[in-house]
Amino acid sequence: MIQTPDADFDVTNIIQSDECSPLTTNGADLDLMLGKDYGALKDIVINANPSLPPLSLLVLHSLLCERYKILSAVHTHSSVKSVPENLLKCFGEQTKKQPRHEYQLGFTLIWKDVPKPQMKFSIQTMCPIEGEGNIARFLFSLFGQKYNAVTSTLIDSWVDTAIFQLKEGSSKEKGAVLRSMNAALGKTSWLVGNELTVADIVAWGALQQTGSANAAPANVQKWMKSCENLAPFSSVMKLLK
Amino acid sequence: APRESGLRVCGWRRPCLGDQKQPCPDYAKERYGVSSMIQSQEKPDRVLIRIKDLTVEKADEVVWVRGRIHTSRAKGKQCFLVLRQQQFNIQALVAVGQHASKQMVKFAANINKESIVDVEGVVRKAHQKIGGCTQQDVELHVQRIYVISLAEPRLPLQLDDAVRPEVDGEEDGRATVNQDTRLDNRVIDLRTSTSQAIFCLQSGICQLFRETLIRKGFVEIQTPKIISAASEGGANVFTVSYFKSSAYLAQSPQLYKQMCICADFEKVFCVGPVFRAEDSNTHRHLTEFVGLDIEMAFNYHYHEVVDEIADTLVQIFKGLQERFQTEIQTVNKQFPCEPFKFLEPTLRLEYREAVAMLREAGVEMGDEEDLSTPNEKLLGRLVKEKYDTDFYILDKYPLAVRPFYTMPDPVNPKNSNSYDMFMRGEEILSGAQRIHDPQLLTERAQHHGIDLEKIKAYIDSFRFGAPPHAGGGIGLERVTMLYLGLHNVRQTSMFPRDPKRLTP
Repeated sequence: MIQTPDADFDVTNIIQSDECSPLTTNGADLDLMLGKDYGALKDIVINANPSLPPLSLLVLHSLLCERYKILSAVHTHSSVKSVPENLLKCFGEQTKKQPRHEYQLGFTLIWKDVPKPQMKFSIQTMCPIEGEGNIARFLFSLFGQKYNAVTSTLIDSWVDTAIFQLKEGSSKEKGAVLRSMNAALGKTSWLVGNELTVADIVAWGALQQTGSANAAPANVQKWMKSCENLAPFSSVMKLLK
Repeated sequence: APRESGLRVCGWRRPCLGDQKQPCPDYAKERYGVSSMIQSQEKPDRVLIRIKDLTVEKADEVVWVRGRIHTSRAKGKQCFLVLRQQQFNIQALVAVGQHASKQMVKFAANINKESIVDVEGVVRKAHQKIGGCTQQDVELHVQRIYVISLAEPRLPLQLDDAVRPEVDGEEDGRATVNQDTRLDNRVIDLRTSTSQAIFCLQSGICQLFRETLIRKGFVEIQTPKIISAASEGGANVFTVSYFKSSAYLAQSPQLYKQMCICADFEKVFCVGPVFRAEDSNTHRHLTEFVGLDIEMAFNYHYHEVVDEIADTLVQIFKGLQERFQTEIQTVNKQFPCEPFKFLEPTLRLEYREAVAMLREAGVEMGDEEDLSTPNEKLLGRLVKEKYDTDFYILDKYPLAVRPFYTMPDPVNPKNSNSYDMFMRGEEILSGAQRIHDPQLLTERAQHHGIDLEKIKAYIDSFRFGAPPHAGGGIGLERVTMLYLGLHNVRQTSMFPRDPKRLTP
């Protein structure tokens, strides 16, 4: 049951009738989403603290790589003394065979002393985006998925829950989130509907970092397995070891 | 009092003290005075302690110190001196008592500022922190004081004025020293804590440059500075008379670096003066500066060289951050600035990306137009805003804006395999893959309308097999200036040469 301001209005049925298409089919025009093209590489810059790697963003990076031709780079900012080797190689070995401008998108990850992840794209027309959840939303939007208002609200709500309660909340809050996740995953195979959304990615990342993954209820465990069966998740899993 | 074994005391100079009456005998007569000129007569066993080493651990020890009189302030029966040694200073107290007479206090108070003195004293823990001194927790209670070298009473500039931060507005209207006064009296200006720190750090840059490159397997070479032909075209070159004909001062060691590559040294660097006869009176141009030059043979791609040069600079920045924190802080006191930020590996953008960023910011410029100074600065700000780095590389310049020996891009003939590196938005290095094929080099020179006769020796260097190679040159003074966030390259050149200055 979804809580809406108008408590009489139950949207549960609407959601179930909503169809989500798989990530790989929809065509998305990057130029349309990211603004005017000047014939140069469009570079997304993400600053993140190596003491708390934003796992969901790394998963999204892998997913984006499946869709677009992406030039990935990892740098260390001078505000950080040392970064573990596995984080420096989190995008694997990069072989740049083509000229930079032939890539559709640049993805530059900078390990930096920041309180929370930060994303910069166009500094003229866009303010920096702060917080792992918000950046995840932006990156996910690049797949060009269209959802109806209710579904997107639901996805948004799960992203916030994952970041503020599952990742940063008290153990009591975490327990509550796990229970509601378990309930949701009893009905559908993913948190929202039957296709993977940003909600799953962020929630999975948060759960990995809380360390309570093993204590999760059955449906959540099953869901985590489904996540980890996907290559982008399993490659990020390897980073944690 | 037992006579000091080391230095002979010649008594003090009556006239400058104006003490006519001598009412009571001076019981401390032997404990102060002007020492006879040191002509290496003796080699006493006396150990002089460095002022920076005077800390609370040395409390209650009797030590000898040599320093300059930084300031002196007499107050009744005591006199406070600040003794200075390079960037460090300590408060010293001469007070009438068992070791010092009234006459001795008066003598100490009348020693001209900047004189060099030898002082024997007891290190005492200070009751409260001494502001204005680097050694804040201790002071020196003077038992003996001898002048080693007397300064003239009038100084052309006051050291305290010379290190005063420039404040905006009419804060308190206290004196500062203008640049020409500083440069005219450079010996005194260089004594300030700020100058001391700047040039210690500059020495560190050279040291780190050498250390890093030698570790990477480079060989240091020496190249001639008097040359027969102008290396880059012929403009901006100083002509000197050379017996019955004339010669030029080298604008860059490039030709010689390249000849070393052709001679199979593979990776070379050199540190030496470079001359530019440019009549530009800007904050960043000098007619003579120190060039840190690198040239390297590569296997397949010139980025092998770019990465090596960029990493060398990153190692320098890291080394400065680790080893020269005191110096950086000292300079920051007078010239506050944000710490230098950088990425590892260094950010490398392409020229077309820079043009795109500038266009997005509303600048109108052509694809093959060179960066103007304001655009260069603006780009620096845009890159800083997005990537938060004060150091980056701009790669793939349009061929049209680079010298004739620059290798064209293999795909787009309008581009070239050339790059500039920037610190805080200002160019510090310019470099490229050089053409190592005499045929192509000839074509490119002709295209630029260069007289082939004049560069024959250069082209001939590549006729007997030449490895593909690339390189670049860095200006030491600019790197120092920009690392510290200073605003004039004259601050980071010990004895700067510009179109208007040839002395000291």
